[in-house]
Amino acid sequence: MDECDEQDLIEAAKAGSADAFADLVRSYRVRLLRFLMTRCASHADAEDALQDTLVASYRYLNSYDPRWRFSTWLYRIAIRNAHKMQQDKLVELGDLHDEESDPLLQCIASSETENLWVCARRVLNDEVFAATWLRYAEDMSINDISQALDRSTSWTKVNLLRARKALESELNGQRQGAEAYG
Amino acid sequence: MDKLAQQLKQDSAMIEVDISHELDRRINASLRSVSPVRETPRRRPAVFWWASSLTGVAAAMVLIAVLNARSERDLPEAMPETSPVAMAASPVTPIIEWNAEAAMLTSPLRKELDDLQSDIDKARKKVREDIGL
Repeated sequence: MDECDEQDLIEAAKAGSADAFADLVRSYRVRLLRFLMTRCASHADAEDALQDTLVASYRYLNSYDPRWRFSTWLYRIAIRNAHKMQQDKLVELGDLHDEESDPLLQCIASSETENLWVCARRVLNDEVFAATWLRYAEDMSINDISQALDRSTSWTKVNLLRARKALESELNGQRQGAEAYG
Repeated sequence: MDKLAQQLKQDSAMIEVDISHELDRRINASLRSVSPVRETPRRRPAVFWWASSLTGVAAAMVLIAVLNARSERDLPEAMPETSPVAMAASPVTPIIEWNAEAAMLTSPLRKELDDLQSDIDKARKKVREDIGL
């Protein structure tokens, strides 16, 4: 979808067209759900978070600043929703981590090596994980990531660098372990 | 794109998700149940602007009146007469020429101070001898 089409759809959605908004977000839904799968405790939570994100973005579309990319704005809302859902779950269940219901593990196609995002989730905190996802899975610019996370560009740069180092060190450790066991 | 970035990109594509028909239906239904919130700027009534303008004008008038009353009260009854001659006759402060030279520090300040103190003592002693004390 080019920018003109997107802008037209935004204007139509602002005027109250739910169909225009549905068309507008159609291409973002899978990407958002994939991201939310990495952040939520279950598949159902991720789907709920996606629904909440889309409803909130439609409801508050008039506060969308067109200087931002639309995807940045959507991700910002999605990150906030996922965080809120995590907080609610922590209050509700305590810090329980059920690997069997982990949506990320369920969605990963079987592979000989560990998916890097599983590794990333283990070694990075939520915010740095989100920055890393937006950078490498979504190809977002540093500025867009900073806006989505409501952080400074220097924070984003520094933490992306740290995330890379942490991931590389984890990968090297895994390789050395594999070699040691032959 | 480096190797790590490539692997991250590939691994993100390995996360297989799809929007089920049920989820699609749910999302569409919830979108139809809401509408965008209109952001209308909060406008103040015209009376507010009139009231605030009148208050401002009244405050300014009170301030002017108070200042005028105070300046009239503080004015002395008779101004002392002064003449330009008296001003010209006032003593002029002589300009002193200080024959000072910048000190050249060749050693630490403490030592320089000790040396200067010693020089002053010697000079003082010499003056005392000269005047016969």
